[in-house]
Amino acid sequence: MIDERTEELAALYAFDLLEGAELDAFTTRLQNDKEVRKLVDELRETSSACALTAASVEPSAGLRERVLASVMDQTTSSARSSNIIPFRLPAWPAWAAAAVFALLAGYLGLTVSQLDYQLAVVEQSQVFADLQMRSLQTSLDSEQIVSKQQAIELKTTETQLAAVRDQLDETRTSALAQISELKAEANVAALKISSLNSLLGNAPDATAIAVWNPFSQEGVLTVSKLPALDADKDYQLWVVDPQYSIPVDGGVFTVDATTGETRFKFKTDKPIKTVAAFAVSLERKGGVPKAEGPMVLITQ
Amino acid sequence: MNDSRTTTRSEDLEAPLLARIAEGDQSALSDLYDRFSRPLLAAVVRILNDSREAEDIVHDAFVAVWQKAGDYDASRGSAFSWVMTLTRNRALDRVRSRKRRGELLAQSAPADLGYDQTSADVAQAAEFSERSDAVHAAFGELPSDQRQALELAYFSGLTQQEIAARLDQPLGTIKARIRRGLLKLRDLLASTP
Repeated sequence: MIDERTEELAALYAFDLLEGAELDAFTTRLQNDKEVRKLVDELRETSSACALTAASVEPSAGLRERVLASVMDQTTSSARSSNIIPFRLPAWPAWAAAAVFALLAGYLGLTVSQLDYQLAVVEQSQVFADLQMRSLQTSLDSEQIVSKQQAIELKTTETQLAAVRDQLDETRTSALAQISELKAEANVAALKISSLNSLLGNAPDATAIAVWNPFSQEGVLTVSKLPALDADKDYQLWVVDPQYSIPVDGGVFTVDATTGETRFKFKTDKPIKTVAAFAVSLERKGGVPKAEGPMVLITQ
Repeated sequence: MNDSRTTTRSEDLEAPLLARIAEGDQSALSDLYDRFSRPLLAAVVRILNDSREAEDIVHDAFVAVWQKAGDYDASRGSAFSWVMTLTRNRALDRVRSRKRRGELLAQSAPADLGYDQTSADVAQAAEFSERSDAVHAAFGELPSDQRQALELAYFSGLTQQEIAARLDQPLGTIKARIRRGLLKLRDLLASTP
């Protein structure tokens, strides 16, 4: 049988809203409790359905190709050699051709008129400029090839880092679970146990036992013989700590309509240093930030 | 959850796609993209409020699916839920990593969470229109305070305490709303024909 507190933890876990000791304890419990694990799987599935309430967005035309290209890059890069030598066009034939042309132009210059010689010099300069431009273009192309390769390698590295991070997360979860177990053993000696008695004229036998763990900042309240509630009401637990001017909210609960019993795991919304007393009041459904209704149980 | 309902004909095709992807079948990834890209992108845009950044996240998520499809366990939930969780985790990581959380919170006020979208928007996602309609109908049956708590829990990247502060309610109340809302949504979706 799964109680309300467990359902609450499972719902928060499904939304990744549990943190700290609460997350550690619940993760440990998940490893050992098939029924709770099944509930979490169901709630995770349901929470994912929330995604379908988002307004539809059309992916850009290039996204599909980007995804498939990245996957293809990954597939091919793993098979490709890691040492790729950038392609460079050899420059010496062009320079040799230029030299031959220059000699030819010089020879012609000696044999034709001064005007023809000057024209040849101008043409020679133009050829050199063209060759220089082609050489620069070749260098630029080579650099682009190298840059593209570096981008692919960077993407691969990022992906590998993400995988390592995921693995570290799993290791951390496992380590936290072990720490949580050890802490649980050490915490038993420090538990504070209090008895709560009835303030109700119509239910004088109502009673409760509160057990508070100051290390995990969590507790369990076991209640019996409390009157059943109307549908629009909740019982609300309060923890009295002298450091706060008003009692601290410990959460809301209901009781079994026939027996008046329940077992309620609670956690306060503020850190507790010292528990001076516990109290239970009757409030409207969902609870209130500050007690408004009549007190029904209080620590003697 | 009612197993006989969760595996509809459309959903039956999705788990085998992940199995084929795990074996290196690129055409299966292409099919999965056609099936999931719209709902994934819609959710991530809602989380990040930035369509360009959202496309980067969806891109990275599909690359992760390609690498991790072998980890999927069909007995733990649907393929969509697995891929959506993987994608949402990346989007929430992005929300937390960029330093402009306050700006995001201001942009994602409850009134702008997009619940009141038109049915025409929903119909654009052809593969998911039936599922999306069912989820919208179920959300419509939730009390507004529970619906609001679920939407903030799923899309905002806020902690429990931040959600309570945002809605100006005690933490215990917020936890109770999330529990009741999610359980009711589960039951409503399970009873959808």
